[in-house]
Amino acid sequence: MDKIFVIGRDAVPERVALGAEESLRATFVFPSGADSSLDLAVDLTGPGAELDLAGIFAGAGEETVDIRLRVRHLAGGCTSNQLFRGIADGRSRVRFDGLVYVAPDAQKTVAHQSCNTLLLNEGARVETDPQLEIYADDVVCSHGAAIGYLSADELFYMRSRGIPEEEARRLQILSFLSPVLSRLPESYYSLIGFQR
Amino acid sequence: MEALLEIKGLHASVEGKEILHGVDLTIRRGEVHAVMGPNGAGKSTLSAVLTGRPGYEVTAGSVSFAGHDLLAMSPEERSWAGLFLSFQYPIEIPGVSMTNFLKAAVSARRKAAGQPEPTAAEFLALMKQKMALLKMKPEFAKREVNVGFSGGEKKRGEIFQMAMLEPVLSILDETDSGLDVDALKIVADGVNSLRTSETSAIIITHYQKLLEYIVPDVVHVLKEGRIVLTGGRELVDRIEKEGFEGIDG
Repeated sequence: MDKIFVIGRDAVPERVALGAEESLRATFVFPSGADSSLDLAVDLTGPGAELDLAGIFAGAGEETVDIRLRVRHLAGGCTSNQLFRGIADGRSRVRFDGLVYVAPDAQKTVAHQSCNTLLLNEGARVETDPQLEIYADDVVCSHGAAIGYLSADELFYMRSRGIPEEEARRLQILSFLSPVLSRLPESYYSLIGFQR
Repeated sequence: MEALLEIKGLHASVEGKEILHGVDLTIRRGEVHAVMGPNGAGKSTLSAVLTGRPGYEVTAGSVSFAGHDLLAMSPEERSWAGLFLSFQYPIEIPGVSMTNFLKAAVSARRKAAGQPEPTAAEFLALMKQKMALLKMKPEFAKREVNVGFSGGEKKRGEIFQMAMLEPVLSILDETDSGLDVDALKIVADGVNSLRTSETSAIIITHYQKLLEYIVPDVVHVLKEGRIVLTGGRELVDRIEKEGFEGIDG
């Protein structure tokens, strides 16, 4: 399954179970212009199951973006990837609460989770809480949550080539979002405030 | 000949520490100037101030460029007026292709000049022509800006950008560092083929190697934030023999 869910428009399941050799690839779009939240639990219950989740958000104004994910590796040899990218502008609030649980007998688990946010305004707030709970010993797991600002060096490099400051910022934001943006058809870009 | 760039009594500081202590430099159209000097002399500060890099404060002096007050202009306005810097350390921009990056740059420049933006076909033809000049492989256009480039590819990429933007004054900041002889020749051939009687260049370096291929009209020695000696190309040989130690003007 390869799916795109627009939060607030599409029905999103709260619980998903993937059995042996089953896979799910899903991309969540948190549209700007309204509060949006996702609360999802996925259980990997059979060997060889593969989960690939991504999400993109653009908080502006007074909006809140609330993301809560629970991924449980209950069988061995499963893979999970979670890749979230977004921007926080205005006085928006972004919360990312992500748990990866690996059961004692879920050996050969591969699990990666990352949520990176670009902070565009000092009035915006980002709280991230990535957690790993691992009870097996033969696993490859990583998690990370980074909050950053636009790079001043990149901005100057582009401006020195004649790209106006505003366009340079837009290119930088697109480049930051590109790992998730590249999973979406361009018709979705306007949902997060980008015209093409 | 008309002065293209006129720097008068330029003092500049970084984080409150003065690096340039009164630089005077005049460049006419069609001239190539070399600025040589030991590490820490202020060479890169000079190029940063001329291009308007944030973090560099001009405390005294003036710079006029093609009749404009250069120091009052934003970095993008300086580019539109025809100034170009080949960066000593080109910046990586993940997620932005060379094509999209240069399309944005060329379009902005045309717009500022009141000209129509290039069509996609025109732009790609221009890219192809300039890539051939710098002997770039076709896949270069699709790569992300400077991401995963070798040192030599980055420098060649800078000169390629210069060819695309057709500047009036190019500053080459340590363009020779990190280049092997073959890459140095490609870069020098590229720069030489872009030379006209109307365009000028400043070549910042502390080696003489690049200056064998791009022959300067005027050579300056920058030491401790001042130009201490100005001469012809024979100065390059003197520096090669004596080093910067013996040169005090």
